Amino acid sequence: MAALTQKKRFYISNLIKFVILLIGGFLLMVPFIWMISVGFSRSANVTMPFPPSLIPKDPSWFNFGIVFENGQIFRAYLNSGIVTFSSVVLGVASSLLGGYAFSKGKFKGKRLLFIVVLATLMIPMEPRLIPMYEMFNKLGMLNTFWPLILPAMVNGFGIFLCKQYFDRLPDSLRESAQIDGAKEFTIFFKIYFPLTGPIAATLVILTFIWSWNDFVWPLVILNNQNLQTIPLYLASFTQENGTSLGGLTMALATVSVIPIIILYLFLQRFIIQSIALSGLKGE
Amino acid sequence: MRSKPNKKEMPNGSSKKLKGNQWMWYIFLLPTLLGILCFMVYPILESLRLSLFHTSGGGETWAGFDNYKTVLTSGEFWNSVYNTFYIGLFQMIITIPLGFIFASMINSVTIAKNFFKVIFFLPNVTAIVAAAMIFTFVLHPDMGLLNYFLGKLGLPQPLWLADPSTAKWAIILLGVWHWIGFVIIICLANLQAISPELYEASTIDGASSFQQWLFITIPNMVGTFAFLLITGWIGALQRFNDVYVIGGPTGSPNRSIQTVVAYIYEHGFTGFQFGLASAATYVLFVIILIFTVFNLKITNMKL
Repeated sequence: MAALTQKKRFYISNLIKFVILLIGGFLLMVPFIWMISVGFSRSANVTMPFPPSLIPKDPSWFNFGIVFENGQIFRAYLNSGIVTFSSVVLGVASSLLGGYAFSKGKFKGKRLLFIVVLATLMIPMEPRLIPMYEMFNKLGMLNTFWPLILPAMVNGFGIFLCKQYFDRLPDSLRESAQIDGAKEFTIFFKIYFPLTGPIAATLVILTFIWSWNDFVWPLVILNNQNLQTIPLYLASFTQENGTSLGGLTMALATVSVIPIIILYLFLQRFIIQSIALSGLKGE
Repeated sequence: MRSKPNKKEMPNGSSKKLKGNQWMWYIFLLPTLLGILCFMVYPILESLRLSLFHTSGGGETWAGFDNYKTVLTSGEFWNSVYNTFYIGLFQMIITIPLGFIFASMINSVTIAKNFFKVIFFLPNVTAIVAAAMIFTFVLHPDMGLLNYFLGKLGLPQPLWLADPSTAKWAIILLGVWHWIGFVIIICLANLQAISPELYEASTIDGASSFQQWLFITIPNMVGTFAFLLITGWIGALQRFNDVYVIGGPTGSPNRSIQTVVAYIYEHGFTGFQFGLASAATYVLFVIILIFTVFNLKITNMKL
């Protein structure tokens, strides 16, 4: 009897939690659903659909047609793609190399340098914004992608993750290769590099999201419309039109959000796992 | 310190060989060190220098602490500090407990766990700029989704972003929506790290699951809350993207959502007062530093 009630209570509490989570999840999804709905609503550029409904009353591809018409969105995609791809390659490479050196290397100043690398995590973008702008200005690199790509060389968090990862790989691999007379670079590229799959995947995802969504720095560096990345293109569209062109704005937001959502749905297992395992937590 | 015992274990020959190859390791670190010099050390020192000069137009003239005096006596600056702290504080007061409660539920629910993880984390991967765009419509006073539902429920319908007195809360709402997924994921990771034996032992003692949550789960999560609080504050003090998209560099309406970074941007990149902006930057930098150290102290945490 007692066991039965306990079982019952378990099911009831489970059900309550499930329902609360469904409601909470739905509330979080509502802005997305509404975005899509307004985007598909043809009349939304004249008057927003009111009362609001999650299914458009006059469904049409009209707004999406306009979003794609002038091709600016494709250009923004291409720009974001170039910047993100290069930043990811550079950031992941320097993290793997650096993490490996801090894990397996023995050299003067190792501890101090590692502390310096970790300290970079605490330094915000703002104190560096103006001098970096002036520096790239003097180098004639304003309105190029170099200022957005090169700073990816410093990835304190990536190095920290990689060091932890390499610490778990045995030293014996190195020692036997050393006896065979292999040089450090050969050891790294031939022996350790092929083992870095999981950590490299994690770094690729995290760097991708950071770089793709970056806003302040591109805003400062890029003034040329043809070079705008996706977030800049979105921001300039909102600032030109405010809330007057609802349907078009929401169609544009939908088009900009969908790729990263698809990427996320495919890779979410890695992202969640990596954040969970990365030491990005309290203890 | 740590390398000492290793050296002893090694035969003499290889220890010498390692010393000879030390420079190899600096090559591994070359990109990182070069990057730190160019994009960290130099800009920070240069920013300090700039903050001591008047820079308008093209020339630079020595200003001493004038820029700092201007910033520290500027009502607009302190208004931006107030906004930044106000938005950050309330966002955290809402998001951390709410996120923790959701995480606890996701952790204990027996079905659709992964589905909920995906749903709740989705806003966090969305670019904040796109999120801000969506929210200008969700929060629209007349045609927005939120006010429609508030009206249905017979609740007051604030003007949100159109009214300086509620604009901060509109930003807080957007922040909660965007940040809660991160809080949930971090909490979930740490909930799973709590030793199951603690729960088993207390079940034998007859504790209800709510008592377990209150007396085992929460005390074990203190470190996680501290982590969220510290990273939350560091993020909050650097807030810019969404307030810029919604309110521009001046944080309209009436500077009600201008954050410190927006103040810096306004003076640095729309007014080209680099010296003044640099001084404000340094004040912000010091605030972040003091605040982080203070947070580390009260949460008793080592980073």
